[in-house]
Amino acid sequence: MFKLIVKMAWKNSFLRLSRTLLVIIMIAVSMSMMLGIQGLYDGMADTMIDKNRRSGSGDVSIFAKGYRVNKDLQYRIKNADELSAEIKKIEGVKELVLRVKAEGLLSTARKSSFASMQGIDLRAEESFGDFSEFLKEGEINLEGQGALIGLELAKRLKVTIGSKLVFSTQDSSGEINSIALRIRAIMQTTNIVLDTNAIFIDAKKMHRFLGTDSSEATQIAIMTADKKTNDLLKANFSDLDVKSFLQLQPMMKQMQDVMIIFNSITFFIVMTVVFIGILGVMYVSVLDRIREFGIAMGIGMQYRYIRIQICLEALFVGFIGYLGGALLGALFLLYLRDYGLDLSAFSDALEMWGYASTIKGTIKISYFTTTFAAIISASLFSVFIPLRKIKRLNPIEVIKAEK
Amino acid sequence: MIRLEKVNKYFYKGEPREVHALRDIDLNIEKGEFTLFSGPSGCGKTTLLNAIGALDSIDSGQIYLDDKEIGSLNEEERTRIRLEEMGFVFQAYNLVPVLTVEENIGFVMRLRGFSDEEIKQRVLEVASMLEIDNKLQTLPNALSGGQQQRVAVARAVAGKPKIILADEPTANLDSKNSKALMDMMKELNKKEEISIIFASHDDYIMENVRRVVTLNDGRIVDV
Repeated sequence: MFKLIVKMAWKNSFLRLSRTLLVIIMIAVSMSMMLGIQGLYDGMADTMIDKNRRSGSGDVSIFAKGYRVNKDLQYRIKNADELSAEIKKIEGVKELVLRVKAEGLLSTARKSSFASMQGIDLRAEESFGDFSEFLKEGEINLEGQGALIGLELAKRLKVTIGSKLVFSTQDSSGEINSIALRIRAIMQTTNIVLDTNAIFIDAKKMHRFLGTDSSEATQIAIMTADKKTNDLLKANFSDLDVKSFLQLQPMMKQMQDVMIIFNSITFFIVMTVVFIGILGVMYVSVLDRIREFGIAMGIGMQYRYIRIQICLEALFVGFIGYLGGALLGALFLLYLRDYGLDLSAFSDALEMWGYASTIKGTIKISYFTTTFAAIISASLFSVFIPLRKIKRLNPIEVIKAEK
Repeated sequence: MIRLEKVNKYFYKGEPREVHALRDIDLNIEKGEFTLFSGPSGCGKTTLLNAIGALDSIDSGQIYLDDKEIGSLNEEERTRIRLEEMGFVFQAYNLVPVLTVEENIGFVMRLRGFSDEEIKQRVLEVASMLEIDNKLQTLPNALSGGQQQRVAVARAVAGKPKIILADEPTANLDSKNSKALMDMMKELNKKEEISIIFASHDDYIMENVRRVVTLNDGRIVDV
């Protein structure tokens, strides 16, 4: 009997072909749009988080205790080279870099601003986070007086490639010291803190300038394979200040949460549309065939078989719509992942908020699984009202009505 | 086989427009009988047929099918009785449009849980008897009215019900097809020993049934 009911449900689903196709197209198009929007929202968040990780803290950063509060060189990690060798031995540690930072005043002949100067090892930064990808303008070259400057800081000081600057800060002996620099490149990391405050010079020069030893660092940034490694690092170096990415950048977590809320709202709206679409087509379809159901009940077909048939009809429509939507959505997401959405026209506003002007999409399996579950549920919920209509149906009324 | 005792049925009961559709009906129909309910329009023949077919409830009295009282059953029990004991032929054929003739004929048997083999064999047997065995893979809308009504009869007969109830089965047929249908029903009645009850005012049917029950104003006036 079940085979016959499946056949009846399948054939009845396409009895009014244009009506059913319209609903399937509606589901497919709205679902693919939703997947695209989800991919873009997540892509925005993921890109920002990824760039922040690569340019800043990594998955975990280690500081000397007291450094993050005081930002004073006396709170530096003195045996950073030994420590980094020890950290590298831990399974799950992928990459690490040592950085020396000092906060001070960066001045041109006419303007000055607070800045955070970072001594970096270019090769290590490249391996750690593809540092060269952040190049906006100029050439990455830290030789001689060479320095790299964050985009927003460069705008604030009105400097360009070749501009001369002086950075002044307190060195490790407590004396005020200055260094003359020449801008070789402007960097855009989309990490707001770096773009608005950072200037990068060679780590060796930074050590000489600050009077610190090359084995010392103010920060050890680490890329890890998983959260377990992060926990292990925290446990192994409890005498130091070990912080995860989200602890250091709680705004990123908030941004992720905001994106989840946006995605949920979009998801809810689209699923409501899908639900109403299937409900509409099922209700009209049942009304069209009310006589058929009445007669079927009249000759002895039990309500439970009709219920299965109607549920299957809704599932067929929902599932085919889902397949179409998944296919279109996957194509849309692949395009967004590979080529992105070019919003260069709004680059100033986007960069101000730390976003790249071309937003690339993300693809997650969960987009397809949650949508599948939601469409199947929407399909099943949509038959409640039509089924109530049939349940209340008295076969004799139908039989009398046809006479 | 079927026994009705003091059966009463009202429409719009308690309202000013109340209609007393069946009045103290007492009737016996034996196994294998071919009976016609006859009478003018609105006399209650369809109401009586629906009451016997467990399609409609009654307000008082009893209806027995093989000594089982069916007049007071709930909707689910009535559905089961209709499925297992009765076959229906309606004026408008009422075939399932998306199923082939073969599937339509076997539909009631499937609902009753017969095996594929039993269904196939019985469908062929009934289709041959009704001369529609060459149309088994056709969809109903590709058949003429007469052929569709034969499929409806085949569907009613296939499950070997105790009784077949047919309400105005020839109303949509021309005289040739009406005659053919009537001849087939007579043959089925004879071969399968199925009790058949028609509600109709077709003269040809009246001339060809063994028993005519005439109703007027909800009462049996002649048996």
